[in-house]
Amino acid sequence: MKSIHEIQNLSAEDLRRIGEDTSIPVPEDLNVRLPQRRIYPWGIAAAVIIGLVGWGLLSRPQQPKDTFDDPLLAYAAVEQALHKMSGTIQTAAGQVEKTELVMDKVNYWK
Amino acid sequence: MKKLYTILALLTLSATLMAQTGRDLYNKYSDLPGTEAVYISPAMFRMIGQIPDVEFKDSEVDFSPIIKSMTGFYILTITAPEHREALAADVNKAVSSGKYELLMEAKDNGEVVRMYTVGDQKTVTSFVMLSQEASEVSFISFDGKMDRDKLEELMAQAAADQGTSQPQER
Repeated sequence: MKSIHEIQNLSAEDLRRIGEDTSIPVPEDLNVRLPQRRIYPWGIAAAVIIGLVGWGLLSRPQQPKDTFDDPLLAYAAVEQALHKMSGTIQTAAGQVEKTELVMDKVNYWK
Repeated sequence: MKKLYTILALLTLSATLMAQTGRDLYNKYSDLPGTEAVYISPAMFRMIGQIPDVEFKDSEVDFSPIIKSMTGFYILTITAPEHREALAADVNKAVSSGKYELLMEAKDNGEVVRMYTVGDQKTVTSFVMLSQEASEVSFISFDGKMDRDKLEELMAQAAADQGTSQPQER
């Protein structure tokens, strides 16, 4: 039997030749059990959750800086924006009214 | 088990995306030249919520119940041509994700305004307005837990108020 040191010193060519040599008998008492990998589902689940939370925290955008220091000014800015939006709704409502008037005229002359 | 992981991943992803639309756009565009930006944080809204009563003489509609239920507010107004087109494209991409519902669209003299909401029949959790004019693009977004009926009622009141006080003949 070859020692570990002798096997380590074999060239790739020698290893291939020995591997292909079918005349070398396999010892009958050779009974090697390869270690089996165990899969832990809860471990994988925990890793997935930790990964997602970590990714979520890292990908969180930077918190912007408040434009106003005074809550009353902030309130006024929000209210102004809401009024601007209401103005848009009023414009749209005016367009609907105009369309209805035109439709009424069209229907009258039909 | 695989289904559970997929659902968990999708839920986390969708929750993250929902919360970040306004903030992402604000972070991307607020520092660019030719941009006016306003951000009001949840902390500031908590301070606003503690104000007992706020009255502004030029306003007949009391928006305070809605404003006090907001948690974040973003305004971007961009005049630079290359950036305003990019902002409009980004907003359109964000609102086409499926969770946004088109509330209304108005077109007038080349100006296009679209409003979108996220939420259910009773509550609005996010609101987005995109206004595209020839010279500027405006983006307004706010988050919170707002009563849908109250929000629509106040907006309609304010619109009617503006219609009577400032009649528009176009």
